[in-house]
Amino acid sequence: MDISELHWTVQAGYPVLATLQLLPLAAVVALLLLRGRRLLYPAAIGLALLEILLACDLYRLFDAASTSLQLAERLPLLPFLAYHAAADGMSVLFVLLTAVISLLVVLYAKVKGLSGSAAFLAMVFAIQATLQGMFVTQDLLWFTLLSAVELVLIAYLLQRWARAPQDESAMQRYLQFMGIGLLLLLAGTFMLGWNHANVTDGQWSFELNELSLSTVPPELQGVIFFLLFYGLGIRIPLFPLHGWLPLVAEHGTIAVAGVFLLGLKTGVYALVRFVFPLLPEAVLRWQEWVVAFALAGIFYAATLALMQVNLRRLLAFAVISHTSVLVIGLFSLSQTALQGSILLSTTFGTATAGLLFMSGVVFRRTRTLVLSRLGGLFGHLPVVGTAFLIAGLSIIGMPGTPGFDAAHLMLEAAIREFGAMITIAAALGNVAAAAFLLWAFQRAFLAPLPEGEAGRVIEPPALLERGIAVLIILILLGTGFYTHPWLNLLENAFNGLPELYAAAPHHSGMPVAMP
Amino acid sequence: MPEAGFPLLSLIIMILPVGAGLIWLAPNPALARWIALLTALLDLALTLLAMLRFDPASGGFQFVEQHAWVPSLNIEYLVGVDGMSVLFLPLTVLLFIAVILASWTSVRSLPRLYYTLLLILESASLGIFCALDTILFFLFWELTLVPIFFLISLWGIGPHRRYAAVKYTLMMLTGGVPLLFGFLLLAFNHAGTATGGITHALLFSYPELLASPLPAELQTAVFFLLLLGFAVKAPVFPLHTWLPTLAMEGPASIAAIMTGLKLGVYGLIRFTVPLAPAAAQEFHWLLAGLGVIGILYGALLALSQTNLRPMLAFSSLSHVGLVLLGISAFTLQGIQGALFQLLNFTVVAGGIFLLSGFLHHRVGSTDVVSLGGVAQRMPLLTAGFFLFGLAAMGVPGSSGFPAEFLLILSALDSHTGAGLAALAGVVLGTAYFLGAFRRAFLGPMHNTAVIEAVDLRRRELAVMLVLGALILAGGLFPNAVLELTRVSSEGWIERLAPR
Repeated sequence: MDISELHWTVQAGYPVLATLQLLPLAAVVALLLLRGRRLLYPAAIGLALLEILLACDLYRLFDAASTSLQLAERLPLLPFLAYHAAADGMSVLFVLLTAVISLLVVLYAKVKGLSGSAAFLAMVFAIQATLQGMFVTQDLLWFTLLSAVELVLIAYLLQRWARAPQDESAMQRYLQFMGIGLLLLLAGTFMLGWNHANVTDGQWSFELNELSLSTVPPELQGVIFFLLFYGLGIRIPLFPLHGWLPLVAEHGTIAVAGVFLLGLKTGVYALVRFVFPLLPEAVLRWQEWVVAFALAGIFYAATLALMQVNLRRLLAFAVISHTSVLVIGLFSLSQTALQGSILLSTTFGTATAGLLFMSGVVFRRTRTLVLSRLGGLFGHLPVVGTAFLIAGLSIIGMPGTPGFDAAHLMLEAAIREFGAMITIAAALGNVAAAAFLLWAFQRAFLAPLPEGEAGRVIEPPALLERGIAVLIILILLGTGFYTHPWLNLLENAFNGLPELYAAAPHHSGMPVAMP
Repeated sequence: MPEAGFPLLSLIIMILPVGAGLIWLAPNPALARWIALLTALLDLALTLLAMLRFDPASGGFQFVEQHAWVPSLNIEYLVGVDGMSVLFLPLTVLLFIAVILASWTSVRSLPRLYYTLLLILESASLGIFCALDTILFFLFWELTLVPIFFLISLWGIGPHRRYAAVKYTLMMLTGGVPLLFGFLLLAFNHAGTATGGITHALLFSYPELLASPLPAELQTAVFFLLLLGFAVKAPVFPLHTWLPTLAMEGPASIAAIMTGLKLGVYGLIRFTVPLAPAAAQEFHWLLAGLGVIGILYGALLALSQTNLRPMLAFSSLSHVGLVLLGISAFTLQGIQGALFQLLNFTVVAGGIFLLSGFLHHRVGSTDVVSLGGVAQRMPLLTAGFFLFGLAAMGVPGSSGFPAEFLLILSALDSHTGAGLAALAGVVLGTAYFLGAFRRAFLGPMHNTAVIEAVDLRRRELAVMLVLGALILAGGLFPNAVLELTRVSSEGWIERLAPR
């Protein structure tokens, strides 16, 4: 696989990708310096907006018609490690989403009463910087190191700002799972580098274009695939590696950590960016197993979601259920499939972020998210309820939300790859998601206020809370009725991946005319 | 397909959401109903214009508008109407106007949201009748679910309204799965066996899909997928269980819309049969069988109800069965009767459910146990209920007569046994309606709520007079309707003929 690159000087007057990563870092320093000043919060909002502008500029500069990696920057640091950033359509999409979600988190800080905390705001920008780095880097080791940094930052966030009786155990579980995930990822990364050194007589490198030139022997591919796949699978999270999520969701921060962990699907991104191009044989070999587990995961998680009494845990299982749908799409491995799945993963990310933010807004009033103690909120918080519902509908793939076109593409691809039965099962998984999301929505917003809670006063949403809700609604409906630019962005992404897999013999290919 | 210079259909669909937006700009929530009413009246004028400008001599689609929507998927914004769908537009709008007027004073909580949702539902329903791109159709199809979910959950009159809302939504979403797969299958067939860049070869345009023939084994799959998808909505036995729940728990306005607009049967006529003509003919016995079961099962259950609203729901199931039987004959009388009956339902089923809503609003129940003697206090309401009931039974002079006559005629001709069963269904229909009518409206009064109730108010009476006039007009001058649907129906039959 040959990956051509356009240097940043060809397209832009300044190194966009570096600026995108350095601006949040500068923001961290600036916000810490402004500690205790009045200007702190306005500055944070301004910086978040600036990052969005930068991301928009990246979108403007980026040429979706070209198949090469664009705006590339390269700076050798160590003999085996180089700073190497470049963007394709997939990166652009995730960079935009990161910028938008960070702004929402900064806005939400005020709702959470943390708008005066320089440490919190700086932490948000630090996480943003690592995420942007992960989405533009072309170096596997760089990615792995950044994900380690991100997980530590989020652990700090959880440790300092989650206030729940059991956050010790949640924290421990999080660190255990994530630590193991990182170790697996690191081991897989080193094995790939080592193989590269073996082939090229001691030239260590982890850059994607270098790695893709040195073929991995089949017996090694399986091992490396499982190291990387499990490492990322914990992060995604993939059934049955999801054990940390319900606990963290229940006892961690409601929105902030969850939004970064679940809103931006770095694991999915890394699968498509690194694993699929480097280990095609292993991916094809284990494709059916992965899909089988994903199918089980859809319904396992949906069933558990239906049994939850706490909205926070319910949303955690909702995430597990819909990521399983996503994985089926990803492993369909065609252009349509990748286009659909990546769009779907950003949709799910935005929608999950919306659900978490709105749950957070509700929690600030009720001090609980136990479903039996909620109810009657729609009359008090109509905008919040609407945003919650629209986010839920996006996950279900309702027409008019971006989930529809994405799921539609994904299903088309899955029919071709796996036949009708598996695809129908995946579509029914969406119906199951509708069941628990609608049920949760009704319990929280439409059902009458439970006895014993009658004295509760629900404050009307503040301007800022309304703003967040309206932003989420606009983003979802706006992209939902007009998906064309995003699909177009992904049209030439994936660097020849579909061709790579189209050439390989498939195990369970279905003829076009089915059933 | 002549292209229209003026985007009439888009305007018909789009002014409703605009009106819904205006509702939120109005300073006073009490203005919401006025804005909703005026928007709907304007829409009625537009749909009447469409009906007048429609050329009944042409069998093709008219007022066609075509724009690229999602080019990478080859999905288009493609709308148009033919003789089979054009009449649904004014009647749908009329039904919504009746619903808005019927809700005039009875909806007190969150009026802005209520009328917004009604207008969005109206827009999506009109979109269903106009859409000629299968994905656009699916978009409108699923879009109806959100307003309905809210309308049932928030304004339902039964204690289990939220359960009813979830049940309805989930059944419809499940039904949506085979529907979408049917449409995808059709698109794949067109894309052929080409690999790579498949999305560009996929095709969702209905007129073009009609032109590309389908291999036999694929026809069966498409037929069953689309049949299943539409049967849930129609509803066809045994997928009807949401309807009685909805009739009991939902607001009368939604029950009126759901039984008045037979979107599922429209889908069967529009998509299932023409897109898989050979399979439809092969499985004509299935359609006829489902129809007969629906007729008899619905009628028997209606007979055993003690509450007017579930009784009306099961009677609606019975009527859908008759329409299905008419379709399965694949004759001109059959399809024209089916279309006539669907149009008739908009007025009859919509009107009678609204009347039962009026009754519930006054008495607090529609159970015959707590009614009795309604006629003494509410003669106008009783007269309206009786008139609509006569139309539902198909008494000559009402619009139900030509419809049922054509349906039974074609059924007797094509499936004689089934036709006889349909006749029995008509007799049962008379029995359950008159039985319930006698117990609820005649006899002595024993409920104080009935004694204190007032008759139809002027606004309610006006709605019923308009709907009643349409029933009489349809019954006395059926030819006007039949002429409008004839050419398109002939085209529909022709697709089936060569096999």
